[in-house]
Amino acid sequence: MIKIENLHVEVEGNKILKGINLEVKAGETHAIMGPNGSGKSTLAQVLAGHEDYDITEGTVEYLGKDLLEMDVDERACEGVFLAFQYPVELPGVNNTYFLKSALNAQRKYHGKPEIDAMEFMELIGDKIKLLNLKESLLKRPVNEGFSGGEKKRNEIFQMAVLEPKLALLDETDSGLDIDALRVVANGVNAMRNDDNATIVVTHYQRLLNYIVPDFVHVLVDGKVINSGDKNLALELEEKGYDKIIEEAKA
Amino acid sequence: MKTIEALTESFNNTLSLEDKIKDLRVKAFEDFSKVGIPNRKQEYWKFSDPSVILNLDLNYNDSTSDINEEYDLILYNGKMIRNKIKCKTGTVSEGILNGDINKNIFESKENPFLNLNNAFAINGCYIDLEENSEHNIRILNLVNNEGDGQAVYPKIIINAGKNSNTTIFEEFRVTGKGTNFINSVMNVFINQGANLEHVILDDYADNTYHIANIYAEQRKDSNFVSHNFSIGKKFARRDYHIELAEMGANCDLNGLYFASNEEHIDHHTTIEHMKNNCTSNEHYKGILGGKAVAVFNGRIHVHPDAQKTDAIQNNQNLLLSDDAIIHTKPELEIYADDVKCTHGATVGQLDDKAMFYLRARGLDTDGARRLLMRAYVGEIIEKISDDRIRNEMMDIVIAKLPKGEE
Repeated sequence: MIKIENLHVEVEGNKILKGINLEVKAGETHAIMGPNGSGKSTLAQVLAGHEDYDITEGTVEYLGKDLLEMDVDERACEGVFLAFQYPVELPGVNNTYFLKSALNAQRKYHGKPEIDAMEFMELIGDKIKLLNLKESLLKRPVNEGFSGGEKKRNEIFQMAVLEPKLALLDETDSGLDIDALRVVANGVNAMRNDDNATIVVTHYQRLLNYIVPDFVHVLVDGKVINSGDKNLALELEEKGYDKIIEEAKA
Repeated sequence: MKTIEALTESFNNTLSLEDKIKDLRVKAFEDFSKVGIPNRKQEYWKFSDPSVILNLDLNYNDSTSDINEEYDLILYNGKMIRNKIKCKTGTVSEGILNGDINKNIFESKENPFLNLNNAFAINGCYIDLEENSEHNIRILNLVNNEGDGQAVYPKIIINAGKNSNTTIFEEFRVTGKGTNFINSVMNVFINQGANLEHVILDDYADNTYHIANIYAEQRKDSNFVSHNFSIGKKFARRDYHIELAEMGANCDLNGLYFASNEEHIDHHTTIEHMKNNCTSNEHYKGILGGKAVAVFNGRIHVHPDAQKTDAIQNNQNLLLSDDAIIHTKPELEIYADDVKCTHGATVGQLDDKAMFYLRARGLDTDGARRLLMRAYVGEIIEKISDDRIRNEMMDIVIAKLPKGEE
């Protein structure tokens, strides 16, 4: 689905990613783990199309197309979804209106008509239950006055409505208590199928008990230093990043 | 000086018309002539130079034509051509003669454009809303100039009787290919316990020069709520002069202004807190694109008797281009000691983080922008209490949003 080769990224002259190689196939879930400042959130942002980053080297192929040539909104319409680490508050923008606008923008891109109002209400009714979100949040401005957990659940709720092909979950577990973590993970798991893929960016192994990855990659100082299956995450949790970094250097 | 001469000639021609308030008009024109058209050396006109009008050749235009649209009252070039209002109405001169209008509206004020409008107050109209009545009135204030060098002086006087409750929607529409100079005045008298909500929407042809003045005088416990949706053009200015003349009066001034290209829009508002326990709440928001210039000057004057005044003023501006300019200035003059006055002004751009978030969900740049602007203007539009008008305004305003670089 996505093939990243030798990706180098800078921001304001600072080298953040120093040659990332990663391939994710349809139906797979990959976890990117790493200490703070390793570049894992940058990777998620770059894939989503954030314009503050300079890509100095490398390629990203997504569903046979050059991802780096696409604008942010084009990527979203082609099925790339970033669940934000810090969801943005949009005062005055009604949550339902926002979702409908996003869904219709994507439908328009694919040459489909706008969604029927009844059909839309049914769709969000189904998805909101999946994420155990209060219906009152639909009427409120996007993320404004939401608790940390509600913001994160709202991200996954948007993902459930938009049904992306490639989901990038950027530290979705941060700020979640254990119950909310379970709800969010259940939501993500319910969406997994053979045609889509998920990249989970996280600092802690905890989330991976619920969203079980097929592959785990350890990112340190802008490079993947180790890759393995889910057991690598457990090993990391047990030994800590320093030990794994030492072993990798040896 | 060509304009002053043209105005004088034009004024002299009106003396042959059959109105019965010529003495008042002659006096008003004299008052105007003493001062003439101001220039930007005067503080009040610092950022909006009315001398642009001096280049125009101005002839009084009171031509009319039939308009068949769903309004209760239609003024065509200042003249009433339809009146379906279910209360007492008439021309200004009729109102003065039968005593429904107080002659003091013709008293000279510092504002030369008020005097000029009075000098041409041949037609105009007044609406007398009786005590305890309820009304919902739709007004079309239409100016149509097909030829160049035409001047129109619309005037509306509203007298809201004690404890009356009224909503007025006024569309100020300017059409025609000619250069339009419009000098409009609205006088509003809000008696004890009366409520008046006034929504005004501008829809201007490109060659519009409009100087508008709205005067409101409020009695005890009265309430005036104004929603002003104004659009910049060659030269557009709307001033509010509010007198909270007795205790317990409240006014809300809400406004949205848009300008793009090389348009000019100006609002000067003055709220006179004259007696105790009055409140005022002002919230104006602008969106500017291209090389537009906007001015917001909000004056709050708290008189020595106006203890327990509560005045809030807020002006926010969204600039869509690097070349757009906003001059925003609060002006607080406070002579009482037990008062609460707050003011704030902001100038900003669309939030990059919000834009990225929206685009990351699939909205294109234009769609994301519009969504954010919709939220921005929604805060003002939502203050309209009449459901029908509020819903209509949302669609109209969204369609008029500036595009950015243009």
